[in-house]
Amino acid sequence: MAEHFRGELPRLLRLLAAPAGFLPLGPALTLAVRRFARRKPAVFDRLGEYGKCSFLIEPSDLDISFLMVPDGSRAEVKCLRRRASQTADVTVRGPLLVLLGLLDGTFDGDALFFNRAISVSGRTDALVALRNAIEDAELTPADFVGATGGLGRLVDRSVIGGLGLARRFTGSPIPGDPS
Amino acid sequence: MSIELVCPAGTPSALRAAVEAGAHSVYCGFRDETNARNFPGLNFSPDELVEGVRFAHAHGAKVLVAINTFAKAGAMDAWKAALANAETAGADAVILADLAVLDHAATHHPNLRLHLSVQAAAATPEAIAFYADTFGVKRIVMPRVLSVEEIAKLNAAINVETEAFVFGGLCPMTEGRCSLSSYATGKSPNLTGVCSPPEHVAYTEDKDGTATRLAGFTIDRFGAGEQAGYPTLCKGRFVAGGKTSYLFEDPVSLNAASLIAALAKAGVTALKIEGRQRGKGYVAEVVRTFRAAVEAIDAGRTEVEVGRLLAGLVEGGRQTSGAYKKAWR
Ligand code: SF4
Repeated sequence: MAEHFRGELPRLLRLLAAPAGFLPLGPALTLAVRRFARRKPAVFDRLGEYGKCSFLIEPSDLDISFLMVPDGSRAEVKCLRRRASQTADVTVRGPLLVLLGLLDGTFDGDALFFNRAISVSGRTDALVALRNAIEDAELTPADFVGATGGLGRLVDRSVIGGLGLARRFTGSPIPGDPS
Repeated sequence: MSIELVCPAGTPSALRAAVEAGAHSVYCGFRDETNARNFPGLNFSPDELVEGVRFAHAHGAKVLVAINTFAKAGAMDAWKAALANAETAGADAVILADLAVLDHAATHHPNLRLHLSVQAAAATPEAIAFYADTFGVKRIVMPRVLSVEEIAKLNAAINVETEAFVFGGLCPMTEGRCSLSSYATGKSPNLTGVCSPPEHVAYTEDKDGTATRLAGFTIDRFGAGEQAGYPTLCKGRFVAGGKTSYLFEDPVSLNAASLIAALAKAGVTALKIEGRQRGKGYVAEVVRTFRAAVEAIDAGRTEVEVGRLLAGLVEGGRQTSGAYKKAWR
């Protein structure tokens, strides 16, 4: 069943993003998560045994999805073509910009789910644990690219500003907006 | 001081967000069954609590530690350790419900300030006097079943502080006495610290929408675009007598923001915001708004001006002023 969510990328941008499926995104994200685990181990302590669960993240507006096992220094992220039928402990589906907003704390996961901006299925306990760990992590875009100091601040400012603009442009739900 | 705002913190970053947004006090719990919000990935390790207390105190805020579940017979070690860790961290008070835990705290941690959790459901002058005289309890968190008039009468008859919930999720039953979750899942807020625990929750999609299941029981069904909610049994939709309805309680959340001045006048010392499971962005927004309203009331601003400050505060879904404005069916 094809689901449509508020705030999906326009068609032109989706086409531009299509070649991303051929880039080595998986290894790059795996490295980023492992680097982050070394810098902030408390986040992964918070996840506890749920770090071994698999999370399938499906941006509803792209033809790729991500399979992540956030097991600290053994974390693994795979980038999959959407057609690959993949099972996971938890599946989260929604527009890319909204999913990114979950990561950086722009959006409250509960509010998004209850307002149907995202859909989830699978092990609810694992998802709740991941959400709470991310919530406490205070993740910034710089954490993903490993940038620190002045460069880190620059990365954060530009990416967060850019994402904010993109959300307004695509009509994503507004943080705190109950509708 | 004006009325105290007691704000939720499920994680260290939510604690910092609440303090920075103007919380006078923050309440939180340890990552185990000793507190009534024992959700996966939530809560504090003993070291995180030490750090959280240091941060709050540096900003002039207090930290209250909820150790408010009922200890298991013959296995009280987790509750004893929680009390000791709260004291070591420099907590300003602990929020307790169980008689054995209260007794242990009063005997072994005489310097800890004791608050009585809403889970203890003390709502009469007699019950409150018992807790105050026996254990030295200094504050009662009141069950959400009293009207403002009843709170005023109660405050006139007791000599401890009272704290009233004003915003967030609502337990419609008298706290500490609900067995719905135990019946369906074998786990309850009173004993394991979580109502309708997430490992028993499943959302399944089909052509008619989403079905919510708790331990195999379908407790609600949502059409596409219909607002969903966390599946606590009391807010499920059931068929009884041939009619489908929210049998126990409509899925509303509490918003008594318009009653802040009335509650202060009724002698309430502190206002409590529910939501340790909510994100830090949400917590910061609610705390900031309530802090502005409390200050406006202190400054003698009119009801209309205060109302304007609170107008943006919607939690999503429907809201109620609960039992404070008596309107039981
Ligand atoms: S089922 Fe409802 S009333 Fe009972 S403990 Fe859970 S939230 Fe409270």
